Amino acid sequence: MFAQVAGIYPWPYDGTWAPESAALVVVDMQRDFVDPTGWLGQIGADTAPLSGIVPAVAELIALARAAGIFIVYTVEAHRPDLSDLPANKRWRAERLGHPIGAQGPLGRHLVQGEAGAAIVPTLAPSAGAPVVAKPGKSAFLGSDFDQILRRRGIRNLILAGVTTDGAVQCTLRDANDRGYECLIVTDATASDSLSHHDDQIHTLALAGGHYGSIARLADLRVALASKVAA
Amino acid sequence: MNLPTIDARPYAWPFDGRWSPRDTALVVIDMQTDFLKAGGYCDQMGLDIGLTASAIEPTVRVLARMRALGFTIVHTREGHRADLSDLHDNKRWRSARIGAEIGCAGPCGRLLTRGEPGWDIVPEVYPSPGEPIVDKPGKGSFHATDFELILKQRGIRNLIFAGVTSDCCVHTTMTNANDRGYECLMLADGSAALETRNHDMIVAITTKLGGQFGAVATADEVLAALDD
Repeated sequence: MFAQVAGIYPWPYDGTWAPESAALVVVDMQRDFVDPTGWLGQIGADTAPLSGIVPAVAELIALARAAGIFIVYTVEAHRPDLSDLPANKRWRAERLGHPIGAQGPLGRHLVQGEAGAAIVPTLAPSAGAPVVAKPGKSAFLGSDFDQILRRRGIRNLILAGVTTDGAVQCTLRDANDRGYECLIVTDATASDSLSHHDDQIHTLALAGGHYGSIARLADLRVALASKVAA
Repeated sequence: MNLPTIDARPYAWPFDGRWSPRDTALVVIDMQTDFLKAGGYCDQMGLDIGLTASAIEPTVRVLARMRALGFTIVHTREGHRADLSDLHDNKRWRSARIGAEIGCAGPCGRLLTRGEPGWDIVPEVYPSPGEPIVDKPGKGSFHATDFELILKQRGIRNLIFAGVTSDCCVHTTMTNANDRGYECLMLADGSAALETRNHDMIVAITTKLGGQFGAVATADEVLAALDD
């Protein structure tokens, strides 16, 4: 058992926590977003804040592995035939000049199995770690994400990855509605816009943290170093 | 017959120009006393209900026009069963920690509890007979409700969002809808947050990256398309 994490409220809310009831969710740390030659960079967004958190996410993964915490990775990626791509999402990317499914430097943009859909090499999943390909922002929509968590009896989620104002917050919101007790690690999440990151964290902190608690990597490091009796 | 597109940001909405009363719904999110009026849940937490109440007037105008034209209007309410059997332990704990425990008595009855005065929709935008009301235990309207079933039954593909709060239930439901392929528009002035910063952030992140969650327009911009 671990001590509570010192976030905006002590997490989890109900006291000490067991590694087997928790999962680290590494959201969309794929080359399409993090690598400057990927889709997000192609449409002109600043990927530097995203690649900037790779060391923090790497440490979080190492901490989770050492503690025996289950790790799930997500990627935003569509089927090669794009049968899971809503018409309006397709249209918006076309309008930006870089259609989903079109060839880019990292293969077809946001398509499963392409180089851009791979997790950045520094954070490569261990053999057997699940990677959930999702067609939307939330990991719960159109995927087996919830099934994987529930089968293991996971109730506490630690969220990291990109982007704070995109897939991270959408997954957090859905997880919270489903009763998962969530912790967002602010310095292991990022947006292409620093202000959108800060503003998103600010709104998540409203009402004492109505989607879960919010902490820094250092807070998690302390909690994971403090084994306590069950 | 399609209506003229709405002069929205970052693109003329809807993306494909297809919208009419047959395929488009107005979704009025959580316009409840608990979020808008003195004595309700937000007021009990010490939050600024003056800001949230500002969403009422623009919503009233859009609601009246869309109602008159025969659009589907769906209303949502956040609230829990009287026995709280649909209330997650952590949600209850958090509300207690900030002094507004869900299910406990407040000036407008039990906070965020179905059937109580504070939980009901404010008179200004009260549903007309026949307009579906979706009661939801969470922030998103799709979770643990028949919201999507209702939309599918009516062949709805476009959603216009009004209500409160911009950064909470409106945004959660709009992002949920966008992931499901619905073409979404948020009313910039017919929605509101408890802090201006939070509302402005939601508008910014909705319209970025070509409109990653859809588009944003004012009540006047929507009405302009409906008056043509």
